Amino acid sequence: MPFSTQVSVEQSYGKVPAASPGEAHEEEVFPFPEISNEELQEINQFVGPVEKFFAEEVDSKKIDQDAKIPPETLKGLGDLGLFGMQIPEEYGGLGLSNTMYARLGEIISLDGSIAVTLAAHQAIGLKGILITGTDEQKAKYLPKLASGEHIAAFCLTEPGSGSDAASIQTRATLSEDGKHFLLNGSKVWISNGGLASVFTVFARTEIVEKDGQVKDKITAFIVERDFGGVTHGKPEDKLGIRGSNTCEVHFENTKVPVENVLGEVGGGFKVAMNILNSGRFSMGSASAGMIKKLIEMTAEHACTRKQFNKKLSEFGLIQEKFCFMAVKAYVMESMAYLTAGMMDRPGLPDCSVEAAMVKVFSSEGAWACVSEALQILGGLGYMKDYPYERYLRDSRILLIFEGTNEILRMYIALTGMQHAGKILTDKIKEIKKGNIGLAVQELVNKVRDSTGRKVDYGIMEERGGLVHPSLQESGKKLEENVYYFGTTVRGLLTRFGKTIVDEQLALKRVSDIVINLYAMTAAISRASRSISIGLRNHDHDVLLTNIFCTEAYFKNNYALAQLQKYADENLDDYIKKAAKQILEKRAYICSHPLDRTF
Amino acid sequence: MRLSWARAFPLRLWGGCRGPKMRRVTGIEWAARPMCHSSSDAPEPPSDHGSQNTPRDEEQGGPAAFAAALEELERAPGRRLGRLELVAAALAAMPALGVARQLDAYNRLLRLLPRGPWVPRGPLHRLFAPFPRQQECGLQVLEQMERYGVMPDAETRFLLLAVFGPRSRPVRKCQRMLYWLPRMLHANPYPLPAQLPPPGLAAACLGLRRIANDPDARLSVYQQPQPEQGDNEGSTQPYIVGIQSAEQQELLARHGPEHPVFVEGPFPRPPPPRLFYYVLRGDPLPPHLREPPPDPERSLYYPLYLDLDLERGPWDDDEFDVNEVEEGPVFALCMAGTGDQRTLAKWIAGLQQTNPVLGQTPVIFRLGDGDSSAGSPGDGDALHLEGSRAAELEPPEVAWGRRAQGEG
Repeated sequence: MPFSTQVSVEQSYGKVPAASPGEAHEEEVFPFPEISNEELQEINQFVGPVEKFFAEEVDSKKIDQDAKIPPETLKGLGDLGLFGMQIPEEYGGLGLSNTMYARLGEIISLDGSIAVTLAAHQAIGLKGILITGTDEQKAKYLPKLASGEHIAAFCLTEPGSGSDAASIQTRATLSEDGKHFLLNGSKVWISNGGLASVFTVFARTEIVEKDGQVKDKITAFIVERDFGGVTHGKPEDKLGIRGSNTCEVHFENTKVPVENVLGEVGGGFKVAMNILNSGRFSMGSASAGMIKKLIEMTAEHACTRKQFNKKLSEFGLIQEKFCFMAVKAYVMESMAYLTAGMMDRPGLPDCSVEAAMVKVFSSEGAWACVSEALQILGGLGYMKDYPYERYLRDSRILLIFEGTNEILRMYIALTGMQHAGKILTDKIKEIKKGNIGLAVQELVNKVRDSTGRKVDYGIMEERGGLVHPSLQESGKKLEENVYYFGTTVRGLLTRFGKTIVDEQLALKRVSDIVINLYAMTAAISRASRSISIGLRNHDHDVLLTNIFCTEAYFKNNYALAQLQKYADENLDDYIKKAAKQILEKRAYICSHPLDRTF
Repeated sequence: MRLSWARAFPLRLWGGCRGPKMRRVTGIEWAARPMCHSSSDAPEPPSDHGSQNTPRDEEQGGPAAFAAALEELERAPGRRLGRLELVAAALAAMPALGVARQLDAYNRLLRLLPRGPWVPRGPLHRLFAPFPRQQECGLQVLEQMERYGVMPDAETRFLLLAVFGPRSRPVRKCQRMLYWLPRMLHANPYPLPAQLPPPGLAAACLGLRRIANDPDARLSVYQQPQPEQGDNEGSTQPYIVGIQSAEQQELLARHGPEHPVFVEGPFPRPPPPRLFYYVLRGDPLPPHLREPPPDPERSLYYPLYLDLDLERGPWDDDEFDVNEVEEGPVFALCMAGTGDQRTLAKWIAGLQQTNPVLGQTPVIFRLGDGDSSAGSPGDGDALHLEGSRAAELEPPEVAWGRRAQGEG
């Protein structure tokens, strides 16, 4: 199980975690995953032309103003092979691994609309065919999709089902001769809806189960526009990523042959989950690429503009902003490439939780960093002549699409709780029954914890340790956080059991801690590798890591304190009470400050 | 200017020697009254003279009469005796004249009291509970203001200070009122509107909205009253107004036609105006039918239901409450002009338009007050025949006629 620091992992298909929560499986995250020199040369060969294309032939401002990507640009992207990055070479694609896909994502993210168009096409649009398609389906569709001749789209959202995706109303009924499905329904907010010719559509079908019950289950279909009955509305006018085509798609008695069912009839749920969970990690490297570019642009400005006879770069507040951006970019990159590396390992590791963590951290980090970069420029950043406001608007969607951050936090926390629960159930039940021996042991443990326990997982040994000695402090902090998190999770499960599903405020803190822990691990792992092999500016790596780990350590401690039972820091009850009063009246209920009684 | 007791003493003596001044009684109201300091017979209330002052005031009635009386008194001040009785009489008359909630009336009343003579002259004087009856008079004014929820304002406070001096009982009470009255007035989270609608359809709508207390609920008038206004005594067509929210509709649809629903009532709703409401409710379903079991394929993004064997710990379990009795779901509420089965049957027929499942569900009328036979399920079905006629609203007379024919 990759990264099984207590409960932050779920079952993988082959490797069952043998340890109980509160321990760390080091061998999967240390050392930081590497690629061989040949692969590195290969990827650098791709990177060059793509960078040149984006620098010279992509006019982001015009795309934003016209709310359209010009066809020449799309053709150029197709020529570079960017429409089929993850499609195997036998079908005409580039056949890149996850790591290389993440590397190219760094450059593509320079223009948000193009990045989203490509992501909607390959990360979700044709991923279904790639993962669950039969060989005939792959041979039929993938070549054209890889060259960019056909564009794919992913149709799941409806007006009544955004995050609650399993309540969709689109129906597919089997025709009498049993050879076609008739698809009826409408989907909303479909990226590439106007351009696409191949859609992955999810609809409800009636299936008869083995025991004779008739149930409504979701099925995935590959629908071509040529099947007839497929219409799309006008493109939506959006805040950001305006160049990406987002519109409604309506299906009226569209005939879908039975061979176009993805997976099996009634198995659409699994297909959807797999598709959605596998595309998320690339957001980390995309955001990191964008922030690195922003740092360059803003540093240029900060080092040249003078106010009060000093350069902006000499003021402490500005320096803090640059450090913040650099730290965030570093951690995002580390997390993204660690996840990509883990996914590229042989076997079938299920890194959906890690990918979700990368997505949450990167989206929020990108939003904060772009905001800071705009702030450094002050008034100039606010003007449309400069690209910062476009980056800000484009990065706002990162927190919403591909699973809103709130939903993903619930996912991360609950998957971990499920995993931990399975391991801890027996122990907790024993304690509840009132076993004296166990109770005494718990008491002793609590006393030792509160009087300061030395936690040592062996990361920091002198020889044979996994982490370079200059990262000792950070390593110790990580270990301590991991241990106390283990005890806290045990406490939460004892208190709430399976009703923890309803305690969203506690789960939010759990997921924040988990994301921080994963981020710390990724950063320490990468910095350790960097200093051990002597990469350029490795001391800067170590510096950024130490800064991040200290901040994350204190944030984790605060969150852990809030999760205790009668903590003063825990304001959940007050928050819920205030929210209830506001929502009862559906307005802000305090009297105006100028009101009088007499 | 207040004099100290030493300076004031000789003046008082001199004043006493001179005797009380005889003033001509002006003002019609005190014409034939005996003047004595502690009379138990209260003078005639000024309202009588409102009727004597008739021509210009009668259109406005009570408040104008009160104002006129106060004007007369203000024009003829200087009355040293009988002021307390005057105030008591005025306070007693205010509710009848309809000025009990006007601050202005109280202020003008307080202005009639003398400023200065009733202020104690020093801490020693204050020790001996000075001017007890005068202070109680002031307290009575303030108590009436409190009873009617009138906030004293700066002018009231100023007058009280001038009349009774600081640290006197009325001023203390005024301070307390200024602190507590706003709190008490804002304590009701569901205040009644200032102008209550006249009894009838409008009052019923207001009452239903207050009972349902749901901004999403939809109020529907199933029958307009004939005649339009006034009481429902002997009206040919009583009003029927019902309220139901979308959640209740869903609950009713899920309740299923095999479980009967009951119409119960009338339940009184005490605050003015006095209304009675009727409830359409069902029995609580057995636990296995209550909520559908959680669907594992409901959420694509995160598990809605954890598959663990752990229950909530006892320290965190806030759900159990001995006083909570399990009640069945309430599907709709209604208020009607008359509470007989016919009218309520019309209500059910109207509800059927939005809840087609009522066509197949047996409706049992459990009306109190020994109303017409609380019907067996057969009765309910007689009104909603053969399911498919849900769209047609058959008037109950025809149905009952048919039943009579069927029996007869």
